Amino acid sequence: PLSAGWLPALQFVRRGSKAVTRHWKAMHFQRQKLMAVTEYLAPRPAVPPRCLAPRKETLEEDDGYVRLLRRQVEEVFRDNRMIAICQYNSMPDEDVVLMRHYLRKHNIEVKFVLNEIVRPVLSQSKYKNLLPLFVARNILLVSPETKAKEMLRVLKGVPQINLLGACIDDTILSRQGVENFAKLPSLEASQGQTAGALALLPSQTSSLLQRGSAHLTALLDQHIRRLQAGETGSPAEPAPAQSLGAH
Amino acid sequence: PSGPGDVAIPRAGLKKYVLPPDYSGITFPERPKLKFMDKVPAVPKVRREPRQLRDIRGPSREATDFTQGQYGILALGGGYLHWGHFEMIRLTIGRGMDPKTTFAIWRVPAPSKPVTRKSLGHRMGGGKGPIDRYVTAVKSGRLVVEVGGRCEFEEVKPFLAQVARKLPFPAVPVSRRGLQQMRREEEEKRLNNQNPWTFERVVAANMLGMRKYLSPRDLELKGRYWGKFFLKHRV
Repeated sequence: PLSAGWLPALQFVRRGSKAVTRHWKAMHFQRQKLMAVTEYLAPRPAVPPRCLAPRKETLEEDDGYVRLLRRQVEEVFRDNRMIAICQYNSMPDEDVVLMRHYLRKHNIEVKFVLNEIVRPVLSQSKYKNLLPLFVARNILLVSPETKAKEMLRVLKGVPQINLLGACIDDTILSRQGVENFAKLPSLEASQGQTAGALALLPSQTSSLLQRGSAHLTALLDQHIRRLQAGETGSPAEPAPAQSLGAH
Repeated sequence: PSGPGDVAIPRAGLKKYVLPPDYSGITFPERPKLKFMDKVPAVPKVRREPRQLRDIRGPSREATDFTQGQYGILALGGGYLHWGHFEMIRLTIGRGMDPKTTFAIWRVPAPSKPVTRKSLGHRMGGGKGPIDRYVTAVKSGRLVVEVGGRCEFEEVKPFLAQVARKLPFPAVPVSRRGLQQMRREEEEKRLNNQNPWTFERVVAANMLGMRKYLSPRDLELKGRYWGKFFLKHRV
């Protein structure tokens, strides 16, 4: 049982300033030591982050504009038969307009595309082998018909545009391939050629079948002529007529 | 893209169109400018109050988060704001902001605590001095004013920083995101501290009899506060 009066277990310090002061109150040395011991220690990873490769935090916000451009590129690759990729060096604007005009006459459109849009589209479609061409500035010449000769003629007059490659009818051609393709005869001519080549043999069947009887008639005609030539000496007409009637 | 010899070739990519900021959920108060605060409350106090400095000490419990505005001034220490400070804040912010697009609101009440002062040149004794002025107590971590409206932080920061410099305690202009970031960083610091000895651990277990040299309030203050000062670098 506690007595009537009791002393508190802790004796608070009665001297000095209050807890909250305008100046920085001097700490007890023990408190200073405690503050020094319990300071914050930053974590030190084994490999400093400076030596590691920087993490590229690319936030890919799906831009509507990017989606639209990608859709346009996909349409281009789907709708046109001939797609030629050319390197584009800076040209004066009027030359660009002239070139576009000449190509438009042959129904070839000039499209300026950004590599950062075309590359993902191509890598997911079947045109993976066209990827190494889409580096640095380039333009696309697209057309629903395959007029390689006219295109090459126009491009020859424009030194700043160099043909890198083309994709004609889903076949990838290099520059040489395009030139060879241009040298080929046109589609109609080659079709006519193949039709003629195919029709060659059937046209011979009728002459083949009639060859036997034609040979016989030729021989008989020759015989008649020989007999007629010999008849000037002696008349022997009824003999060949009898032999003809017998056969 | 780097060319031969690892020289970067500058190329123009696709232009990313940034949408303008969306100010849809902002409600403007009736008066955009800061209200005038009285020097003396409507009913002046007759009885002189003891000097309870514990209203300066420690972290703040009220007005720690944003309500209406997006940017504000955060107090990083305790102190008293008197009428001179209120006028300075009101006029500086009123001069800096555009009342058509931005608004500002007080987050501290009008001065209500009477503070006495004895006349100069007299010796100690003779009773408590008369009431000199009225003040409001501000603890650290409290917002003083809030600014909002159709504006960006960069527009508001100059005059808020000007005000923050003139306050009697250290203060800093802060936005909603900045405050969140500050709190997150504090939390991270607390979690990834490599020191196994923390102030609160030592105090809670009374290691080495440390509580003899510490105040009973150090259990809650955890070594981050000393008097009216807030020690930012402590964990």
